[in-house]
Amino acid sequence: MSDAETAAWRARLPEAFAPPLRRRLLRALGAAACLAWLGWALALFGFTPARLWQGLSGLATILRLMLPPSPGALWGDILRGLAESVAMALLGTVAAALLALPLGVLGARNLVTATLLRFSIRRLFDGFRGIDQLIWALAYVRAVGLGPLAGVLAIATADIAVLAKLYAEAIEAVERRQVEGVAAAGGGWAERLRFGVLPQVLPVMLAQALYFFESNTRAAAILGVVGAGGIGLQIAERIRVRAWDEVAFIILLMIVIVAAIDGLSARLRRRLIGGAGR
Amino acid sequence: MLELQGLTRRFGATVAVDAVSLAVPAGQMLGIIGRSGAGKSTLLRLLNRLVEPSAGRILCDGTDVTALRGRALRRWRRNCAMVFQQFNLVQRLDVLTNALLGRLAYQHGLGRARLLLTGGFPAEERARALAMLERFDLLGLALQRAETLSGGQQQRVALCRALLQAPRLILADEPIASLDPANARLVMQALRQANRAEGLTVLVNLHHLETARAYCDRIVAMQAGRIVFDGPPEALDAARLQAVYGLPEADLAAESEAAAARPAMA
Repeated sequence: MSDAETAAWRARLPEAFAPPLRRRLLRALGAAACLAWLGWALALFGFTPARLWQGLSGLATILRLMLPPSPGALWGDILRGLAESVAMALLGTVAAALLALPLGVLGARNLVTATLLRFSIRRLFDGFRGIDQLIWALAYVRAVGLGPLAGVLAIATADIAVLAKLYAEAIEAVERRQVEGVAAAGGGWAERLRFGVLPQVLPVMLAQALYFFESNTRAAAILGVVGAGGIGLQIAERIRVRAWDEVAFIILLMIVIVAAIDGLSARLRRRLIGGAGR
Repeated sequence: MLELQGLTRRFGATVAVDAVSLAVPAGQMLGIIGRSGAGKSTLLRLLNRLVEPSAGRILCDGTDVTALRGRALRRWRRNCAMVFQQFNLVQRLDVLTNALLGRLAYQHGLGRARLLLTGGFPAEERARALAMLERFDLLGLALQRAETLSGGQQQRVALCRALLQAPRLILADEPIASLDPANARLVMQALRQANRAEGLTVLVNLHHLETARAYCDRIVAMQAGRIVFDGPPEALDAARLQAVYGLPEADLAAESEAAAARPAMA
């Protein structure tokens, strides 16, 4: 291609060489606005290299205090706390998944044709999703008192809305033809749901619930800090008295537990989805 | 001159390509026929090194293709353009960019870094691609996403991408099995023209014996990974074909139709 030919093509189809001027200007403007916002935020929060450096040296001190990790004298308390955290996550996730199933069905566009009902349910999910687990935990601690019950309720309440939305979306992505097959055989609404939709979405739903169980095990540690039961309380107490070596020990145990749950649920998920493929 | 020496590929216990030896002179148009699962696709993919051989060698003008690595391998792939049954376009990129992918292996150094960072090809390459798209009557679609195109249009874009590689060899794997008759003719004629006018060697896998007879200089028939016929189209008469496949030509054609209808199996 000679320069003259290239120029001729550019004259003939300018938009194939560069986006129109308007779009380029808009893009530049957007990029500038983002950069300005970023810079403003950095200045506002006083991000300076010196402060970051200081923070790092503080972190290094903590790390030094963590070595070697030690279980301390209260072995039993730590194990009980960990078991409590895992149990909270399990209970909370199971409750959330069970409640999210019917809500997800009600929120699915291809199943519920009453737009107003579906719309209000979807907005309700959105509203609940705006409130974090920790806030629910603080509220439940006031309502039902200190302890794991508050934690379980917080996990369940916060996850119902998210799982219901994911479930609704999974249901909307089902293949129509399979459902049509059930309808053509004389199946009503309930039969179509039970035999056309559920077999397609159940593995996906279980897989998602397993992901939530794993992430909730981690979250359950935080909930303890605000008094909602679990290992978090133990961690908070030890940080208060600067027993960093014991904190490190608990953290190591949690990493092991989360890794074990992750490995287990990955195997389960593979079996579920593999089973669906056959 | 392209030379295959005892080329073999096993997938687990099955032997997809079984000790195939073949010499293809430069500028030949070679049709490869055979039933589904005969090893035609694997053979072409071996040539492009999309699949690694279990044994055997590929020589091109004396160079051992099977030993190429890194940059030399990329240059070999640039030199032997591939056309697929399912087109293998990047659906979310526009037609022009899909065609420009054929120019990827020509970008080096700073220009390559800039391309990878911004996704924008140089003006000269764009002009070259536009000229190719015009040749295939696709200019009006240049800025549309590939996914909005019909199958025939997509295969024409794929041909543009292949020809923009300025290859010495074209490997076409069932290029017309998913197309309507008009587009099939167009694609086969484009391949034939690239072979005749530009002297490219073309290896094309085909379901239909008729198509192979109409367009190819030479026909190779494969069965269970082995070559069971190799010769000019006129030598492959009905009796010969039945001996090769164990069933008459009409049945073979019917079977091919069925195979084409479920491309995922091919």
